[in-house]
Amino acid sequence: MVKNITIFTTNTCGYCQMVKKYLGAKGMTYEEVNLDEHPHRQAEAMELSGAMTVPVTVVTKQDESREVIVGYNLARLAPAVS
Amino acid sequence: MTDTTEQTPKHDVIVVGGGPAALTAAIYTTREDIETLIFERGVVGGLAAVTDKIDNYPGFPDGVEGLKLADDLRKQAERFGAVIELGEVTGLTDEGEYKRVETTSGTMLARVVLIATGSDYKKVGVPGEKEFYARGVHYCATCDGAFYRDKRLVIVGGGNSAIQETIFLTRFASHIDLLVRSTIKASDVLQAELQHFIDDGKVTVHLGTTTDEIVGEGQFVTKVIGTDTATKKKVEFPTDGVFVFVGLMPNSQFLESTPVQLDKIGFVETSENLETAIPGVFAAGDIRSGATMQIASAAGEGATAALKIREYLDGRSHPIQN
Repeated sequence: MVKNITIFTTNTCGYCQMVKKYLGAKGMTYEEVNLDEHPHRQAEAMELSGAMTVPVTVVTKQDESREVIVGYNLARLAPAVS
Repeated sequence: MTDTTEQTPKHDVIVVGGGPAALTAAIYTTREDIETLIFERGVVGGLAAVTDKIDNYPGFPDGVEGLKLADDLRKQAERFGAVIELGEVTGLTDEGEYKRVETTSGTMLARVVLIATGSDYKKVGVPGEKEFYARGVHYCATCDGAFYRDKRLVIVGGGNSAIQETIFLTRFASHIDLLVRSTIKASDVLQAELQHFIDDGKVTVHLGTTTDEIVGEGQFVTKVIGTDTATKKKVEFPTDGVFVFVGLMPNSQFLESTPVQLDKIGFVETSENLETAIPGVFAAGDIRSGATMQIASAAGEGATAALKIREYLDGRSHPIQN
């Protein structure tokens, strides 16, 4: 079971829109961290993903286990939030 | 033999890909009550959606953000009834009246298939490119540019995309070295805009410079090594990141074992009716051999394909009843 979802995004990122659209279509809520508005959280996104890219989607489960999905990757995103 | 089992979903038109050609075709088909399902594996809007600003699409005197254009095309197609499914088409078989389409959502049948899978940015193919992917090597400025605030960048390429994205990245980077293998091929308008940043010292253009290796220390990129083709000497460019825009490659891998004819690069060959070697399978937009790789052209081809699809369906049996 999903406890919460955080997505790191930027204003101009098309793939970020797709992740939000996918989760929205599933009726899932999420916290969005827009790195254009909160550039100080960029290091956090990099540490979580090991990459300098967005979107980064962090899915935290009820047992506190965490899955980090880099990019718009439906093959990983869909099972992670199911 | 055509599978007519009740369980296999049937569609009038399946569009493979969700860029401007696909969405325009869907606007036309659905307006004429031709049921249309679009499969998009990446971003609805395709490369247009990840382009910062589009200045040459008609009807937008001040240009339009790629993401906005893509979203508006999507809304317009959905308004007329197009359905967009987020998933991938993995196979295509000609079974006569119906085409069998293998997708990540299962097998489907379609009377017509429109291939509009477009293209993706090519890799430059040098050591370090794969190793530092997303950790200093990037192909999407609008996605990853924000990680380079006040940092140095190298951009590889000299076409419209390279110059457009260089201009976009000046909002973040402290300095950009633009490595161009031969000469800049971008439009005069883009070159004139770029010149402002060259004059300001924000961008330095290195013509006749190949990109040979991307080097890093630890996890991240530190420099690019190239060759000055005039002097044959190696040149180094210290940098925090590299963005690559060296042309496009077709998204046609799923067609390689089908009767659809591909040219030597992998683009789909069509007749003047935009029909492929399989009757009832059409292609439009960047994926088509001979395409001009322009968003306006893709939209135009999408409209043309839709009209040809209507003609094709009119010559066939009555619309399907699911």
